[in-house]
Amino acid sequence: MFHYKIQKRLYYMFLIILLCFLAIIIRLFYVQVFKTKDLNELAHNLWSRNLPILADRGLITDRNGLVLASNITTTSLVVIPNQIKEKDKVAKDLADILNTDYLNMFKHISKKTAIERIHPEGRGLSYETADAINKLGYDGVYLVKESKRYYPYNELLSHVLGYVGIDNQGLSGIELQYDKYLKGNNGAIKYYSDGKGARLKLSEVYDAPVNGNNISLTIDLNIQEAVERELDNAMTSFNPEQALILVMDPNNGEIIAMSSRPNFNPNNYQNYTTEVINRNLPIWGTYEPGSTFKIITLAASLEEKTVNLFEDYFHDTGSVMVDGARIKCWKAGGHGTQTYLEVVQNSCNPGFVSLGQKLGTKRLYNYLIDFGFGSKTGIDLNGEASGILFKLDQMGPVETATTAFGQGISVTPIQQVRGVAAAINGGNLYTPYILRSISEPETNEMILLNKPQFIKQVITEETSNLVKYTLERVVAHGTGRNAYIENYRVGGKTGTAQKVNNGIYMVGNYILSFIGFMPADNPDYLVYVAIDNPKGVTQYGGTVAAPIAKNIMLSIIDYKEYKPVKNELLRTYTWLDTKYLYLENIEGKDIKEIKEFLKNFKIEYSGSGTKIISQSPKGGSYIKEGSTVKLMLN
Amino acid sequence: MNKNNLVIIITVLSLSLFGLIMVYSSSSIWSEYKFEDSLYFFKHQGLFLCIGILGMYILSKIDYKIYYKKANLIILICFLLLGLVLIPGIGTIRNGSRSWFGIGSFGIQPSEFAKIGLIIFTAKYLANNEKIMANFKKGAVPILIIIFLFFALIMLEPDFGTGMVIVGTLVGMLFVSNIKLNFFAYAAVTGLVGIAALIIAAPYRIARIISFLNPWSDPLGSGFQIIQSLYAIGPAGLFGLGFGNSIQKHFYLPEPQTDFIFAIISEEFGFLGIIILATLYLTLFYKVLKISINSSDLFAKYLSFGLIFGIMIQTVLNISVVIGLVPVTGVTLPFFSYGGSSLLVSLASIGIILNISKEVK
Repeated sequence: MFHYKIQKRLYYMFLIILLCFLAIIIRLFYVQVFKTKDLNELAHNLWSRNLPILADRGLITDRNGLVLASNITTTSLVVIPNQIKEKDKVAKDLADILNTDYLNMFKHISKKTAIERIHPEGRGLSYETADAINKLGYDGVYLVKESKRYYPYNELLSHVLGYVGIDNQGLSGIELQYDKYLKGNNGAIKYYSDGKGARLKLSEVYDAPVNGNNISLTIDLNIQEAVERELDNAMTSFNPEQALILVMDPNNGEIIAMSSRPNFNPNNYQNYTTEVINRNLPIWGTYEPGSTFKIITLAASLEEKTVNLFEDYFHDTGSVMVDGARIKCWKAGGHGTQTYLEVVQNSCNPGFVSLGQKLGTKRLYNYLIDFGFGSKTGIDLNGEASGILFKLDQMGPVETATTAFGQGISVTPIQQVRGVAAAINGGNLYTPYILRSISEPETNEMILLNKPQFIKQVITEETSNLVKYTLERVVAHGTGRNAYIENYRVGGKTGTAQKVNNGIYMVGNYILSFIGFMPADNPDYLVYVAIDNPKGVTQYGGTVAAPIAKNIMLSIIDYKEYKPVKNELLRTYTWLDTKYLYLENIEGKDIKEIKEFLKNFKIEYSGSGTKIISQSPKGGSYIKEGSTVKLMLN
Repeated sequence: MNKNNLVIIITVLSLSLFGLIMVYSSSSIWSEYKFEDSLYFFKHQGLFLCIGILGMYILSKIDYKIYYKKANLIILICFLLLGLVLIPGIGTIRNGSRSWFGIGSFGIQPSEFAKIGLIIFTAKYLANNEKIMANFKKGAVPILIIIFLFFALIMLEPDFGTGMVIVGTLVGMLFVSNIKLNFFAYAAVTGLVGIAALIIAAPYRIARIISFLNPWSDPLGSGFQIIQSLYAIGPAGLFGLGFGNSIQKHFYLPEPQTDFIFAIISEEFGFLGIIILATLYLTLFYKVLKISINSSDLFAKYLSFGLIFGIMIQTVLNISVVIGLVPVTGVTLPFFSYGGSSLLVSLASIGIILNISKEVK
């Protein structure tokens, strides 16, 4: 046929157009089906004006649910300039209600911006003001809820809690560490607007904020308050450069209280230097531990059975030569001949040098590593330091000797506390931690319950018992006697470490410390106190730090209602000390029988009979010599 | 009236009425803002549609053979008009192109009418030179020179979109003629070189091409239109937001009633609405193509094919722009976009086709 070619090509043209349409359909399917969600989101961002509704940050509480960090809710005025039609009128009314300048207000509501916050006049509005604005009912004028972090106890626990920035984001401490749990999700009211910013008649979308989760810490507010009080007193009395206290449950690594000076008030953190805010001394501070470190040497020696505390003797002449270097004892002239138990009680440096030598460099070093020194403890707080140990191959005889009594190495307070905890809790090393649990704010349902993290057993339980016994003797008879509490069992060890500046020991500049625990036979609390360069006192840990630790333990005894015990180690007395004597229970006894029991006390009677109905104080505890015992007769 | 013509008329009326309704929906916000009358564009388009349908009816009664006889005169008039519109004071500038004769609030684009004139002229040329079309020099070159001349005039306005549609249409007509296929290989190369030259001449076209490849590279500049278009099409999904519920027509998509009206149709009627739309266009194309195939008169064959192919190529180009398949070129969507010239020319084309159809057995 004549037109055969043309006919065929006409069909081709149909095919070409058909293919074009097919391409269009495929592309549309891609855009309208596969990409619809993405484009929808982008388009909604374009169309909607979000009025943010800030989520409440989760509460931070102590272990008993007492609130340490909460939120204050305020109301703020926000305008969407494009939605405001009668700008003059709105500006005038708002200026009247807020008691501010008309021109200033007019500037706010005429600004070329999607959303304008009236700052500062429109923030933190009272209920009456907010209500008056609300009653105006203008388009484009909105009241939004704002939530601001508030720390009711101000400086208390500041380094642990941390603080939040302008946008409620956690910047340090728990606030930073657990920010993703605490922060929640901000919500918004979404208004739809046209391309020129005017409000569209589309329904608003309310995007509810999700409040952050509540966090419960292992901290006990009651004990924390005692710690803060003692630190404040120490600052007043001794004017030290720095001071810190740590209280831990030695049986699981829970931090019960923790604080240091200088500290800050997280409600207005802007007033403090970053050094003060960032240096959480109990985990950041790194210094020579001094004698408190001897506990580790003691534990290692007992575990390795390189010494018999009761039968082996050491003669201290006041110094010892190691590899040509003279190492002095803190006591001029030395302690003379002592059992090793007395070496510990006296905190005798040459004695500990000999303990270190008996162990040998390698074994001593291995115990340091086992007890967790030289590396971070892994506590759930930011800003932890790892301390500095000698490397094993750098440890000569002198290094071994000084390490044995806590010099020449650097450790953090948290490392010491963890190490000692392992020495007295039966030998178990734990990772210290401060987060107890996280729970959902509405239902209080627990999301996460933190568990103690056991790392390893570093000494046997028998060794640990012996360490406890020895440290109780240190408090009853040795350098720790200022921490002795009548009728209660306390163990501990003092420390006096000379500070180092540029590799040289500073004269008359010490960190005085004490680490103590109670009850000594079965410890629930381990207390560490360190005071950096106190002024106007004898520079011994026993004189400065031990009484502070004692006060904290007294607070714990009072708060936790510990019962007095009879079988505590009786302390040895110096002529300065007031003597405490045991008072028998004499209730129900005849008046004639009691003379012998009460010979060192004053007696006051009431009643006229011969039988004792009740006594005050009650029997079964130690009371001051010569104090009055009141007896009621029948 | 035969059954084929009835289908064509129903299809065209459906497209035009749907178009009128969409002009109302897409323009109401703008026209309320600009003229304080939300029906402003609707009323005008309604008037154009009435004139257009009347014109279509009249043209369907006029014997198409007259165009064969008057082809040279028609092409001369078109040439003069295209020259006149370039003279400042006679031609007016709208949207950056001096392509309008303004008559009050109405405007006429001579390039739209030149499109029909050129199709008529080319159809006649191809019918007359059937035998020699296989010879490139004798057959193809003369008509190509004329095509290029008109294209150059239109590019002086400049109106790249209409120029492309015209060239595409005429090349399509050459394709169905006796011409050898290797000509198209040359044409493709020439076309690419030509496009490259045009891009070098006016660098804003580079921005258009880049914005087509990644509109988000310049979301407030060259990528703006295509992004706004995708924000209309994408969220609509399968079923659309429903008639009148477009959000993008609220001052987001610029001039939503003209070149980008397809975006608003997609937004309100979704993917399924577009399937129906595509079916209407393809039905129209197929029905007219049947006329071309069945026509024994070579002039009628080329003319009917050229007229419908022009409409289809413009449709494909417009939609491809709106959905981001090709760079923004600025052509209207036949039967839908607001604008008198575009609608009148499309309906006039259908009128001529209807008359040709009567001759077909």
